[in-house]
Amino acid sequence: MISFRKGSIGFDKSLFSVEEIEFARGGVHVLMGRNGIGKSAFLNTISGMINPIKGSPDFDGKALYKYTNKELSTKIAYVSSSPSGVPFLSVDAYLMLGRNQFTNLFGRGNASDNKAVIEAKQIFEIEHLSSKFTNELSSGELHLCAIAKAYVQQTDYILLDEPTSHLDYANKIKVYQLLEKLAETHNKGIIISTHDLDLAFKFPFNFYLIDSKHQQLKPIKDFKEVELEFKS
Amino acid sequence: MNSSRFNKFILLLVSISIITLVILGLRIGDIPTGFSDVYHAIFNYSENNLSELIIREIRLPRLCIAVISGAALSIAGMLMQTLFQNPLAGPYVLGINSGSSLTVALGLLSGMQFFNSELGLIGSALLGAFIFGLFILFTASFIRNQIGLLLFGVMLGSFVAAIITILEASSQAQSLKAFALWSMGSLNGVSIEQLPLISFVFIVGCIGTLLIVKPLNVLVLGEDECRLMGYNLKSLRLAIIFITALFTGLITAFCGPIAFVGLAVPNLTRMLFKTQNHLLLLLANMLFGAFFILSCDLIIQVLSDIILIPINALTSLVGAPFVIYILIRKLR
Repeated sequence: MISFRKGSIGFDKSLFSVEEIEFARGGVHVLMGRNGIGKSAFLNTISGMINPIKGSPDFDGKALYKYTNKELSTKIAYVSSSPSGVPFLSVDAYLMLGRNQFTNLFGRGNASDNKAVIEAKQIFEIEHLSSKFTNELSSGELHLCAIAKAYVQQTDYILLDEPTSHLDYANKIKVYQLLEKLAETHNKGIIISTHDLDLAFKFPFNFYLIDSKHQQLKPIKDFKEVELEFKS
Repeated sequence: MNSSRFNKFILLLVSISIITLVILGLRIGDIPTGFSDVYHAIFNYSENNLSELIIREIRLPRLCIAVISGAALSIAGMLMQTLFQNPLAGPYVLGINSGSSLTVALGLLSGMQFFNSELGLIGSALLGAFIFGLFILFTASFIRNQIGLLLFGVMLGSFVAAIITILEASSQAQSLKAFALWSMGSLNGVSIEQLPLISFVFIVGCIGTLLIVKPLNVLVLGEDECRLMGYNLKSLRLAIIFITALFTGLITAFCGPIAFVGLAVPNLTRMLFKTQNHLLLLLANMLFGAFFILSCDLIIQVLSDIILIPINALTSLVGAPFVIYILIRKLR
């Protein structure tokens, strides 16, 4: 369980505040809000990349800042909104980097690492990209690979910043279905931000809104709140 | 697994070429010697035989330092290119050499005897390389543009060259001579007695690089990813700069500046092996770097009857056009 009480989020000055929020494992949690409201800042804060202005996120009963980088990397995987491709880095090698905490001193994987990579490629249907270089992929293909890389990390939590923004409609559905399945069958806590609201609402996710009027993050009880937020 | 067989084949080919070049290099020179002389000089040495003396005291150390300098500078270049995620980075173009030159100049031209000793020389060269490495690291945090960083390095080099010229103009004849001798730089300046120390520092650098192969592989994905994968960026950056300075300072101390090897060879190996696996890249840079300097040395020796080419001039002759080629490819 990730929880955050009486905190405020922002890079230099506070963007919005959080009264009390909890993200349980076994579910997909969706952050909504207008552009620039601080969805990425929130995900960056939860992943430990930036410090909150006030308060501290709590991971399984222990404050985030008490974790070392190493411990945190085994707990959370993070997928940025625009992963960048690297010349001469093949998709296979890229996915193997996701196995970093399991591979040997020189980054070489054993049989179970190879198995995890192959399984991820099957799940995300990216087998045909195996030996392609990551800088030669389309942004949608690259994004699928980035999510697959987060999957092979085998962490308790996965944070994804707009995972569907580069994907075509069929792939958007596929990613949401996969995330739903991952949360249920692997008991992962998954937090995403998205603008694909119409599609997301079709899934049994938990929804949260960063309200621009009160500058506050809160769970959504009534979908009218969302409508109001995006109409005004 | 076709590509891995290709890689092994290429690495084997270069290794064989290196051995061939070393054997050739032991034979070729002003005084012609035969294979038997080479054999005796290594396994059955007698000081009274002139051929054997030349092979053991002059050619062997020269070839050893050729191998070590090529390998060391290429690994240093690979480290800097990964650190700055910039194919235009290298120990020479970013001015790490200049750091060594400056501290060595300050030491030698001060006239103090200590700085003219082996330990004084290597100590001041390493210190200068490390300080300038930190300086570049600091600068790179706000010059994000790849070509901008290259320009900064070149300017740093010119700036240091100017300071050294002023230092030279205002120093005494005795210390000026020591510095002039050093700054000409060549593979010939190393004696067989110095080889153990040089090899030791080189091996320390190689082991250091071997230990950070895994974070280097992750660093390719960018600094945020590297942190998210659990690495402490600050200490990783310091480790990379430290190892780079160790390699560059070592070679600059004993051979003077050798340009462009550290930029050209790592680019070449990445293109040839098409990988970001730094274990393979480490091995490839070691071998290709050694091969490159040995080839340059062979050319110098063959042409030595007609014209005497300093090693730095020859590597620039090959390296500078290569940098221009990369620049054009980037800018187009």
